[in-house]
Amino acid sequence: MTKEWQVRFRVNGNSVMVSVPPMTSLAEILRQQLGLTGTKIGCNNGECGACTVIMNGKAVASCLVLAPQVAGADIRTIEGVGGDKALHPIQQAFLDEGAVQCGYCTPGMVMSAVALLEENPNPGEAEVKDAISGNLCRCTGYQKIIRAIRHYAAGR
Amino acid sequence: MTDYRYIGKPIDRVDALEKVRGTARFVGDYHLPGMLYARCLRSELPHARIVKLDVTPALQVPGVVAVITSDDFIDHGRFGFPISDLFMLAYEKVRYVGEGIACVAAETPEAALAGTKAILCELEELPAIFDMEHALDPNAPQIGPAREDGKHPNFLGHFPVYDGDPEAVLVDCDAVIDQNYETVMQEHAYIETEGSLAIPTVEGGVLAYVSCQSPFIARGHIMRTLGLGETAARVINPPVGGSFGGKDDLNYMTAGQVACLALKTKRPVRMTFSREESMIASYKRGAMRMRVRVGADKAGKLRACHFKATYDSGAYSSQSPFTSWRASIHAMGPYRYDACTVDLTTVYTNNGFAGAFRGFGNPEVYAGIEQAIDELAEKLGIDPLDFRLQNCLRLGDTTPHGQTLTESVGLSDCLLAVRKASDWERKRAAYAHQSDPDRRRGIGVTALFHGTSLGAEGTDEATGTIEIHQDNRVTLTSGLTDYGPGSRTVYCMIAAEMLGVDIQRINIHLPDTNLAKDSGPTVASRSTMLGGNATRIAALNLRQNLDYAAADLLGCEVFQLQRAGESYLGPSEEPVPWEVVVEHARRMGLVLSTFGRWSAPKIHWDEEAGRGVPYFAYHFGAQIAEVEVDLRTGLTDVLNYYAAHDAGKVIFPQGAYGQIYGGVAQGLGYALYEDVDYMDGYLQSINFDTYLIPTSVDVPEINGSFVETHYSQGPFGAKNIAEPAMVPVAPTILNAIAQATGRRVRKLPANLERVLLGETLHKKGSPVSCKVALKSV
Repeated sequence: MTKEWQVRFRVNGNSVMVSVPPMTSLAEILRQQLGLTGTKIGCNNGECGACTVIMNGKAVASCLVLAPQVAGADIRTIEGVGGDKALHPIQQAFLDEGAVQCGYCTPGMVMSAVALLEENPNPGEAEVKDAISGNLCRCTGYQKIIRAIRHYAAGR
Repeated sequence: MTDYRYIGKPIDRVDALEKVRGTARFVGDYHLPGMLYARCLRSELPHARIVKLDVTPALQVPGVVAVITSDDFIDHGRFGFPISDLFMLAYEKVRYVGEGIACVAAETPEAALAGTKAILCELEELPAIFDMEHALDPNAPQIGPAREDGKHPNFLGHFPVYDGDPEAVLVDCDAVIDQNYETVMQEHAYIETEGSLAIPTVEGGVLAYVSCQSPFIARGHIMRTLGLGETAARVINPPVGGSFGGKDDLNYMTAGQVACLALKTKRPVRMTFSREESMIASYKRGAMRMRVRVGADKAGKLRACHFKATYDSGAYSSQSPFTSWRASIHAMGPYRYDACTVDLTTVYTNNGFAGAFRGFGNPEVYAGIEQAIDELAEKLGIDPLDFRLQNCLRLGDTTPHGQTLTESVGLSDCLLAVRKASDWERKRAAYAHQSDPDRRRGIGVTALFHGTSLGAEGTDEATGTIEIHQDNRVTLTSGLTDYGPGSRTVYCMIAAEMLGVDIQRINIHLPDTNLAKDSGPTVASRSTMLGGNATRIAALNLRQNLDYAAADLLGCEVFQLQRAGESYLGPSEEPVPWEVVVEHARRMGLVLSTFGRWSAPKIHWDEEAGRGVPYFAYHFGAQIAEVEVDLRTGLTDVLNYYAAHDAGKVIFPQGAYGQIYGGVAQGLGYALYEDVDYMDGYLQSINFDTYLIPTSVDVPEINGSFVETHYSQGPFGAKNIAEPAMVPVAPTILNAIAQATGRRVRKLPANLERVLLGETLHKKGSPVSCKVALKSV
């Protein structure tokens, strides 16, 4: 039996502690231990970006972050963006532009957008495309997602 | 022009809010108390006889609760339409690498995997066939059972269109193109993998949440293979994370497996695939090899087409009889000819299996015909866009099938729209003379027709329901699934428009076989026309009752009623709020729950004669791609893209444009990168690190537009959009590459070596990654 590690970190402002085998990914911890299923798993290989969360201010593929790396980290997930009632303005921009279709990539896409905009409030088109280039979307052709992020930035 | 309140106006998707919040619950997000995890033992051989299958050792593995095989289903779980050759789990044989053999339910995913490894499964390898050209050789290994008609067992079907004698006309033509073209298999690559969850009910039945295209088909297979009555098997569609045709037959197997295990264990059972399992086990877009001969006279009049092709269905028939038929109908392109023959033969091999995928055979045939048309224009020295304009189908024309087009034909307008939007003439002329030795630009065009809905493939009708509740909320049901395109929003818009109420009042249930009515499969871009019409009629039936109540309340005749916002107005009274009318209708005892059924116009196709009326209407479109090719590397960059589509009246613009953008992106991947490469039956790309789909930096700005020809039978004049946007993209890009480089790439995808070297490099492959992935968590 693999020895379990106790890992303490912050998720969406709350301190949490989980006990998991060390090879458990952050994506699995969020989804299975903490019930935060807004973070999706699409490839479990760091390629599709559906599991993107913000870790210490940077967008990361949470399927590639293992439990010991999470110790002490500050994690933000889709559940921590906006509130129970209000939407984060970038979520509203996704609605306004029609950037959502099947919706499976959407939480990861929103997290990449939030990380970009917090670092660079006024990104150009190339910077927007680059920021979401690790988030695969098979439905939208990215066009409205890019528009949503750019319009949000332009409107601030 | 009718002034609508919702139709054609900006509106938010009805299901977008829960998706941007991350609260939409997909199958894999369900964690129920006592839930078991299921995993399949899958074949590691492309073709083998099952000599021994003993699951008892798996039951000794800690955590394993139950194991099933084909013996646990009625008639071994045989299903499939129109050819019933699939099984819920393999029976007697396996025909492709990744085919499910047994399924384990366990307390944890790890225990389920350990259970699959403990099963004693002895396979006797059989000779296999991987080259479709040799599938019908007399000594080719036999994949399926012998055919009753004595034809080769690997023969699946022949799909012809006959219009005159093209051979006689071709010899008379001033210019003829005779070329071979080839497409490869394509992976759907929905970001959510396959999954199903089954929950046993207290009545002894099963409730299944299935990420699939058609919940009534899933229910039907569960009922028949497990011997359950209609109400004992219930299927609900949770949000579906993309499908594109892909969550059909394979995920019906998944649904059947978890349903069987739930009944056996009396516990909820969920199965979700890893990406690797998804790619190895799932069916693909089939591969096609084509020989296209087209001829024209000096003046540019197209005269004859002879299209001959072989289509690889892989190990099972799945949807290939329908895919092949649709391909055959469109194989000559949207043009007038003096004579035309299409001759398409579909065969079995051991290359995975082919099934439904957006476009359903048409992206394959367009990769042939739309390049051949370009090559012919070039040979004649005629501008390829002018050549298409000169020969394209117009109102009143008769197609090579013998169908006269009597309305809603916007093809020439689409061609004119993209010509203008793209600045075609200037760019085409400029790119004909370039001097940069390293980078060359090109611009290419295609034209498209695509039959709406099922066509003569089968019965074509849908039913929708609408109900006003005690709190005056209005709910809709549809038996059709919205796996991304936006049909649920379309139905809400139509209902709000018909009832004359605020759209915020209207909610639509997730598809649920106990609430909704069977509306056939969610395929063939039929949701807006079929489901939209059904919703329109349901809402009309309800509104008639409300109008009657309003007239009674206002003391006037129904024809005297007017509306002010939601309120009703009579000739002399003050406005009466909608809620008051509803309450009055209740007091009058009028029914406030209605349904609407719509059946498509009758059509017919003679499979032997290759003639008839294959579809009741057609979508038309034209696309232009502008590319830059790096002559040092063969890398193609798509700089700009223009797409104009005649989808009839556009009901939900946000969704319709989304279909253009997404369709073009998916076609761009098909054109340039995507290659499902089987090496002796083993898939070589099993995740997104090697199977590349377009990212945000690969897709250019797409200039989309609509030509709205009214279609009299469509809801508010609408036709369809989802599939057609993707259909002509690959040849559009290939035609642009041909102008840029002066050399044509006739096999997809136009990857670096084909563009740079003009040939296909042969890679070494290995079965290892498939075998390892099938044994990994």
